[in-house]
Amino acid sequence: MTKKKTSVSKKRSEPSSHHHTHGQSHCVDILRQLSAYIDDELPSDICREIRRHLGACPNCEVFVASLQHTVTLCRHRPAPQLTSADRANMRHAILDVANAQ
Amino acid sequence: MRTPAPKKTSEHPAMQEPDEFDRLYRDHVDLIYRYAHRLCGEAESAKDLVQETFLNAYKGLKDFRGEAQVSTWLYTIASRACMRMRRKRKGQPEHELSLDEFVPTSEGEFRLQIPMDGLSPEEALQNKELRQALDQAIEKLPRKYRMALVLRDMEGLSAKEVGTIMGLNERAVKSRLHRARLFVRRELSARGITHHDDHKSGDLRS
Repeated sequence: MTKKKTSVSKKRSEPSSHHHTHGQSHCVDILRQLSAYIDDELPSDICREIRRHLGACPNCEVFVASLQHTVTLCRHRPAPQLTSADRANMRHAILDVANAQ
Repeated sequence: MRTPAPKKTSEHPAMQEPDEFDRLYRDHVDLIYRYAHRLCGEAESAKDLVQETFLNAYKGLKDFRGEAQVSTWLYTIASRACMRMRRKRKGQPEHELSLDEFVPTSEGEFRLQIPMDGLSPEEALQNKELRQALDQAIEKLPRKYRMALVLRDMEGLSAKEVGTIMGLNERAVKSRLHRARLFVRRELSARGITHHDDHKSGDLRS
C-alpha cells in the first residue's frame, strides 16, 4: 500500500490509541494496510501504530495472522513439473506451428 | 540471463536462430510451465499456454534486444497470452474486488483462522484439504488479481517486476495483490478446515 499518512498515523497522538476501543473504523484502517505491513513497506511510525493496535485488538491480531498464513502458504505451494516427454513434445509442436506459418 | 541481440535479417527467424530458440526453450520452459500451471490450475491448459508463449517468443526473438531480463520478457508474453485465453471452465465471473467486501462484519468473521498452529508451511500443506482449498481459492480469483498474486507471492517477483509484466504501476500492483490476498484468506478461513494429520499422504502436488 502507499506510504502516505492515513488516519492510522493521524490517530497517533490520540490517547485512545493506547487503549483498545474496538472502533470498527480503526480496524478497517488497519485492514487496508495489512499487506504493506506484512511486506514491511510501511514507515516505522505506522508499523508501531499497527503493532500497538494488534496488541490491543484480538480480532485484528487473528486477522493479520491468517493473512500472513495465506501469504506463507502461497509462497510454499509446490508446483508440478514437466516430464522430459512433455518438454520434447511441446518443443516439436511449437516448431511445427512456427514453421508452418 | 541476457540473450545477445540477434542479427536482423529478412529471413525467417527459424532459419537463423534455431540454436537460440532451443537455448531459450531449454532454459525457461520449466519456469513458464510452473507459472502457467499456477495461472491455469491444471496441466492441459498450462501446456497450451506454454506453447502459445514460446510460439510468440519464437516470432519475437529476432526483435528481442535484451533490454529486459529474458524471464521478464517471457512472463510478459505468457501473461498477455493468458489474458487472451478463453475461459474453458465455468467459474467466478471476472469482476473487480472491492476492499469493502473483505471487511469482516462480525466478530466470528474476523476471527476465522487457517490451521497452521506450530506447523511449518510445508507441514501445513501436507493437509490435502488445505492444499486443495488454497488451489481452489486462487483459481476462483478474477484473472488479473490471480496474476498479481501468482507473480508476487508464488513466483517471488518484486512489485516493480510484476508492474513491468502486467503494465501497471507499483501502487496498482500492490492494490491488486492486497485484494487477492484478502480474497484467498477469506476463502481459506471460511472453509473451516480442520487440522488433521495426514503427513504421510505423500504427493504434495495432487
